[in-house]
Parts: sequence; C-alpha cells; structure tokens
Amino acid sequence: MTVTALVFYLFAAITVASGFMVISARNPVHSVLFLILAFFNAAGLFLLLGAEFLAMILVIVYVGAVAVLFLFVVMMLDVNFVELRQGFLQYLPVGALIGLILLVELLLVFGSWSVLPEAGNLAAARAPDAATLSNTDALGRILYTQYLLPFQAAGAILLVAMIGAIVLTLRSRPGVKRQKISDQVTRTMETAVEVKKVQPGQGI
Amino acid sequence: MTSSLSTDLVLILPEIILAAGAMALLVLGAFRGEGSAGLVRFGAFGLLIAVLILTACAGTGEKVLGFNDMLVVDGFGSFMKVLVLIGALVAIPMSVDFFRRAATDRFEYPVLILLATVGMMLMISANDLITLYVGLELQSLALYVLAAFLRDDVRSTEAGLKYFVLGALSSGMLLYGCSLIYGFSGTTNFTDLAAGIASLEGQGAGIGLVVGIVFLVAGLAFKVSAVPFHMWTPDVYEGSPTPVTAFFAAAPKVAAMALFLRALTVPFGEIAAQWQQIIIFVSIASMLLGAFAAIGQTNMKRLLAYSSIGHVGYALVGLAAGGEEGIRGVLVYMAIYLVMTLGTFGVLLVMRKDGKAVETIQDFAGLGRSHPWLAFVMAAFMFSLAGIPPLAGFFAKFYVFISAIEQGLYVLSVIGMLASVVSAFYYLRVVKIMYFDAPEGAPLELPFPLASRVVVGVTGFLTVLYFVVPAPLVTAAGAAAKTLLP
Amino acid sequence: MFLELLIILAKIFAIILPLLLAVAFTTLLDRKVWAMMQLRKGPNVVGPFGLLQPFADGLKLLFKETIIPAGANKGVFLIAPVLTFTLALIAWAVIPFGDGIVLADINVGILYLFAISSLGVYGIIMGGWASNSKYPFLGGLRSAAQMVSYEVSIGFVMVTVLLCVGSLNLNDIVKAQETVWFAIPLFPMFVVFFISALAETNRPPFDLPEAESELVAGFQIEYSSISFALFMLGEYGNIILMSAMTSLLFLGGWQPISLFGLLDWIPGPIWFFAKTFLVLFTFCWVKATVPRYRYDQLMRLGWKVFLPFSLFWLVLTAGFLVTFDLLPVKG
Repeated sequence: MTVTALVFYLFAAITVASGFMVISARNPVHSVLFLILAFFNAAGLFLLLGAEFLAMILVIVYVGAVAVLFLFVVMMLDVNFVELRQGFLQYLPVGALIGLILLVELLLVFGSWSVLPEAGNLAAARAPDAATLSNTDALGRILYTQYLLPFQAAGAILLVAMIGAIVLTLRSRPGVKRQKISDQVTRTMETAVEVKKVQPGQGI
Repeated sequence: MTSSLSTDLVLILPEIILAAGAMALLVLGAFRGEGSAGLVRFGAFGLLIAVLILTACAGTGEKVLGFNDMLVVDGFGSFMKVLVLIGALVAIPMSVDFFRRAATDRFEYPVLILLATVGMMLMISANDLITLYVGLELQSLALYVLAAFLRDDVRSTEAGLKYFVLGALSSGMLLYGCSLIYGFSGTTNFTDLAAGIASLEGQGAGIGLVVGIVFLVAGLAFKVSAVPFHMWTPDVYEGSPTPVTAFFAAAPKVAAMALFLRALTVPFGEIAAQWQQIIIFVSIASMLLGAFAAIGQTNMKRLLAYSSIGHVGYALVGLAAGGEEGIRGVLVYMAIYLVMTLGTFGVLLVMRKDGKAVETIQDFAGLGRSHPWLAFVMAAFMFSLAGIPPLAGFFAKFYVFISAIEQGLYVLSVIGMLASVVSAFYYLRVVKIMYFDAPEGAPLELPFPLASRVVVGVTGFLTVLYFVVPAPLVTAAGAAAKTLLP
Repeated sequence: MFLELLIILAKIFAIILPLLLAVAFTTLLDRKVWAMMQLRKGPNVVGPFGLLQPFADGLKLLFKETIIPAGANKGVFLIAPVLTFTLALIAWAVIPFGDGIVLADINVGILYLFAISSLGVYGIIMGGWASNSKYPFLGGLRSAAQMVSYEVSIGFVMVTVLLCVGSLNLNDIVKAQETVWFAIPLFPMFVVFFISALAETNRPPFDLPEAESELVAGFQIEYSSISFALFMLGEYGNIILMSAMTSLLFLGGWQPISLFGLLDWIPGPIWFFAKTFLVLFTFCWVKATVPRYRYDQLMRLGWKVFLPFSLFWLVLTAGFLVTFDLLPVKG
C-alpha cells in the first residue's frame, strides 16, 4: 500500500523532526509543544500498526494529561534556559563520543543479526491469538492473566509515587481559614440569627 | 485459571501481607493525622516480624513457579528475603530517635519502608524481566523519597534528587537491555530464556543478546553501586538521613545482589563465558576504587559509602567464580555484610555531638577513653569490615576468594586481597582516632536510644563471635545456592 | 481510488456544514434562552426573531482588524484558536447520527472522543500563554487545571458505561441502550457526566477561565477579529459535541423512545438531534440559573466529590455485573 507507506513516512518524519526541535528550541514552552507533536505522531504510528487502543491511550494519557501538567510547570517556572545552556558546548565532544560509541554498537548488533533459533516460538507461546481478537480485547486478556502480577505491582508503584509527592511537598500551614461545607449546610436559623427586641429610644 | 490463581496468591502471601498492611497503615495514618507515627511504626514493625517468620518457615526450599512463570519462590529467594526483611526490620526502630530530633517523625516513613521491602521481595523472586523491572522500580521510587525525607535539609533533598535522576538513567539502561534481550530472544521470561539459550547448543549467543546483557548488567550494577556506576553512592549516603543511609547500605544492596545473581545465572548461565569478564572487570574496579577512594575521606558516611562499593566488589568475586561455591560465597558475604553495616550505622546513630548527629571521623576521637565498650564494638566492626580474622568479615571474604581460586581466577583473587589490605588502612585509621586522638570541641553525648543500642549489641555480638559457630549460616547459604542452579 | 476520496470529502462536508450552522445558531439559542429566563427578549433586530444575528456577528468579526499584541508569541498566538476550532470539528468523525450513519466507524470511538476532548485544553493554555499578559495567562492556567481535573471523572464515567456495553464502538454503545437508556440505571453517573461536561467546556457555573468579574475575559482578552471568532466557534462546537456525547452515552443516541413502537417511524438522526438539542438547552438553562463557582470550590468538587464518587460507582457497577453474571463480554 503506497498510501500507508506515505502516511508512515509523514508521521515518522514529523516525529523525528519534532523530537529534534524539542532539544533545539530556544523557548522551553516551544520544546514542550514540539514534544506534544512528537507524541501525537507516535500515536499515529501506533494506528498504522493497527494498535488503535495504544494510540488512543497515548494521546489521552500523555498528551491529554501528562504534557498539560508539563506545560503548566514549564510556563510557571522562571528559569532562564539560555543561561542553563551556556557551557552546553563544552560537553558536546564527550556526548558526541558516547553517542558515536552507541551508534557503532548498534551497527554491530544489526550487522551480525542473530536471533535465538527458538525466538519465534517463544514469542508466539505467550501471545494471544491476534486473528480472533481486537487489540483492546487481546491487551485486556493478557494484562489480567499472564501479566497480572506486574500489572498490580505497577499500581503499587503509582501509589508510592503519590505518597512520595505528598511527603515531599504537602505542608500544613497553620492559621489558614478553610471552607467547611458541612458547617455551612448544618447551620440553622436558630444558630445563625439572633432576634432581639429593641425597645424604642433605648438601643441595644 | 482460578484454581491456579489461588495457589499463586499463596506463593506471594508474604508480599501481599506487607503491601496490604502498608496500605492499611497508610489509611490509618492519613486519618489519624500527625500523631499517628508511633502507632504506624509499631504496626509496620509487627508486620515485618510476622512476614519474616512466615518467609523463614514457609516452603521446603523447593523451586515453585507462579503467575505464569513470572515469579519464582525457592530457597535462594527465601534466604535473600530473610536478609532484606532483617534490614527493613532494623531500619524502622533505628530511625525513631533520629527523626524525633529532626522533628520529622512522620508516619509515611514506615509505610515507605514497607513498600520498598515489597519491591525488593518482588525483585528477589523475579523470574521475568518485567517482574524484575517492576519490582526494581517499586523499590527505587520508595528509596528516592526516603533519601529526600528531610525535605527542609538541603543535603537531603540534593541526595534525593541526585539519586532520582541517576536512578532514572540506570532504569533506562536496564530497560534498553531488556528490550534488546527480548528482541533477540523473543521472550522476557527467565525459564524461556534459559530454554532458548540451551537450544544454541553451546555455540554462544549472538552479539545482539550480549549487548542486551551488557546493558542489563549496567543497570543492575548501578543498583548495587558497583564501579563504574557508583558515582551516586557517596553523595546519596552522605546527604540522606542516617537511618535511611543504614537502610540503603543494607537491604537494597542485598536485594539488588540477589537480582544480579538470578538474572545472570538462571537465564544466561549457559553462556557464562560471555559475561564473566564483565563481572570480573566490575569486581576488580569496585574493589580498587573502594580501597583507594575511601582513604581521603573525612566524613564517616562517605567513608562507609566507599567501603560499601568495595564490599560489592568482593561479593561480585563470588558471582564471577560462579557455580554453587561462588553463589554460596556471595550469600554468606551479603549476610555478614548486612550485619556489619547495620552495626556500624547503629554506632553512628547512638552518638551525637553539639546536638547534631555525628558525621566526621574526627568526632570519634577519644571514644576509646570515654566509652570503652562502644569503642570496642566499633573497633570490632572496623576490623571485621577490613576482613581481619577471626571476625565475621574474614569468613565472608574467605568463602568468595576460595571459590574464585577453585575456578582458577588467580589474578582476581590476588587483586582482591591486595585491595583488602589497602582498605584495612582506613578502617584502622578510624580505630586509631578512637583510641589515640585527643577529643576536640564539645564532648560526645550518648543519648543511647534503646533501639540502636539493641542493634549495636546484637550485631556486635554476631560479628565478634561468628567464628564459634560458622556452620549454620554456611549450610543455609549452601542449600539456598543449590536451589538457584538448575 | 479517486472516487472514494471524493465520497469521503463529500461526507465530511455533509457533516461540517450543518455543524457550523448549528454552532452559529447555538450562539443565538444561548442568548435567547438566557434572555427568556431573565424576562428579556434577547437579540431580535437582525432578521425575524433575530435569526440572522449570528451571521451579523460573524460578518462584524470578519471585517475587524486582527490585532497581535507586540509582546505576544506570534506563532503560538495564532495557532491556538485554529487548534481549538479544528479539534472541535474533527471529533465529529466518529459520532453516529443514525444506525451506521457515521464517517469513521472505528472500534475505539469513545476513546477517540475522549482523546480529542482532552486536547481541547491546549488551545486555551497556548492562547493564554502566548498573549504574554497577566489575565490571559491566569485564565489559561485555571482552565488547564480545571479540564485535567474533570477529565478524570469523565474517564471513570465512560469506563462505567463501557462495562455495561462491552465495546468501545459508539454504535455498539447506542445499540446496547435499546431496552433501557443508561441514564436510568446509571443515573448518578449521568449527573456526574453532565456536570463534568459543563466544567470541561468551561461553561457556567464553571467558566472560571474567562470569569469576567476577575479576569476580564480570561484567555480571550488579547484576541480580536477572526481569531476570536475561531475561539468562539470552537467553544460552541465543543458544547454541541459534549451534548451529543451525553445523548450517545446516556440517552440512547439515535434510538427512538419505545412507546410500543409508536414513534419508531421517526428516523434516527432526528432522534439524535432532538436529544442533543435537549441537552444543549439544559446547558443554556444552567447558565441562566446557577451562579459561578469559586475556584477552590470547583477543585474540591472535582477531586473530593466526583472522583471518589465515580470511582465508587464504577466498582459498584462492576461488582453488580459480576455478581448477577450480566457482563456483556464473557470468557
């Protein structure tokens, strides 16, 4: 399918380009916006793979929630990123060297491509039958059976993250007046208003 | 499915008890508010004791797989879990006095320790790269928070942040390795991986798989703080609250070492020749760095950090040697290391100077005269860490080096012994300062919190008198090591 | 190939043109309903009953000068309204107007809708930030926090509905309501969804992002002319979309009211339109009746009331379905 291929290259090119822009944009807000664009195109690539559930979840979770908070924080932060970047160039040779070594390693890996002889069978053994199920269905089945334990443990990880965020940031400030809805609702005429008979010419 | 689910749940009963208990205590703490720290701590302590007994007694040590082979329960796992639980158990009461004085006696501390322990137990039992990663993250995330627990202290927050950033980087490497392994073998399961590698029939794995293993080892080496992934250790140890540092040096190291052993020997045991030289390199580098970098340190916690790097190097000698002997050596090493480390940190927690926790080595000056018993125990720990007979630390080193020599790794053993001689220098310097230097400034105060006193007493007793009955530990470790190997 | 493309284009136009008209008249509806409830007449000068008022407004905005503030971040400033408008339109691709009358009948339709509606926040936050001015920025931040908060409970409501349907396809969701509309068994969720929809579209009583008494006009302050018009169109488009979602999830979409089959002759799209209109009217009604929330009250409602409640109801529904063996998909 030429159309599919074209769409793939479109998504892939935009993903890579916006990934590049994330690190090269001068304005941090622009970086985040390009990051969002990259997420979006990654979702598009998922769609092309036929993994529509993952694509939608990627958009909902990363673009719809995580990146919004990201943007929120970056907009609020008063950090001069240009200043932070000074001296960036002095690390460039080291970074480039490490990158080069990684690249060579990867080329080596791909150059002598040798997969275990059993790999195909091993991969197939634990996967649900893709032909009979939609991918939402298949994902649900495998998550709650084969991968039940890691799935639940991942929940525990999120709990720890939540506890951590609260432990490190929540401060109870003394002397803050808070709205108590229950007090407001339970207030009656008798407790709220005091009726006084005022005698003429005497005041209270 | 349902019938096997119930047997699976029984397998991880200790973990479930701990996790559910932690959540219950969390709710209790959240509803009771600030004053509930004592109650929650008590509950957590009770839970850990219960689970410790359960883990120590349950099971025949047979290898049982559960959750579709995602998890394995065997003698090796039980042995390591008991060590981890002891580390966690000690970390809770030891913190009481410290956090009270820092006015951060909060109920989240025991809860986080419990959840970190659950993560470590999952790591130890992992039989799949995914379980491994999830357990590791559960543990690490709780530890990042614990490192920054004194949130108004600059050094503590810095420690937490450094640990977090570098930890995330190492998790990234680990995951990269996992994905390469998955890509080249088609599975993340240890059992399947072992079967797949067995099908190579001794030809040696392709370079893709080996690169994957290298990244996996890099990630794991970070978690046990082995050179060249040790950079975070001194800073984090120094900055974290001392009881938390004691916990860091004890339980997570044991758990990560267990993971190291299992992740390399179970799936990749067949191609040991292809990863052995990495372990040898990491081991030598750790031993040497631990020996030389610690010499210049003046801060006790930094010194112990370098010391722990060195000790990881010695333990890895056992892994490099491999086989039942080597693994038994590592197990014995970790058990003795745990006792010595907890004891040393216990001594640190017992003392205060100028109303602050003791930090520098010079603070120990004159301890020999003012508190001879404490100085004696501390000296025992130092001698033992240096590996001087007849203390426990000597036996630890003895077993790993014996296994290395039996495997013909002479260079490794010789370097290890030399490093141990060098490291004796700084351990003995502490002893020298304690006994022969004149104290400066304010006198040492010893509030002697009960918990730390008990810890110091028990660990000191074990360290000094281990040589009387060395057999039970070695036998238990030997039996545990046997279950790890096919 | 070429013909297929043409047909798809035609379909798209067949959806968008009536939609734009509907948006235009919704602005009128909003004002009219509001006026009626306050015993006023509302716009009644342009055309009969003021029917041509939206077009007059549109023309006026079209011929104004587009003003871009000197300190604004030009690119982002201009993209923001376009984004809002586009998102309000593309969501309609998966809405079934009748049995099978839908542009793209994908099997994760409801997730697609959720994803698109969660993107709506970007237009606002980008506009608020790019204006480089205090009030718009505050408005943008408020709206970001607000929409993220209420998305959570909307998500749980959707999951509850999905549990009862067993499919993510919108057509299936409507079909599952043949016997009874979900608004009846899931009434509390219906209420939560409706209120969250109000918050999600920044409608009164949750119009904090543009609260004129404190923020002048929130993120829209610096916008003028056509860019302002695009914001308005997008916003009203989202309101209609939320009304349509309410009718699809809870009011049986294009299913007729089963009065012993008496009303079955009325075609599905008309039912769908009528139900959507009803919800839309309620949106306007609420605007005229309820005073604006304070910001902390808004957050409290979202996180401390709706989130636990919808979570509880989700667990309850799941438990009910499992206990009585009513799960739509088994095995």
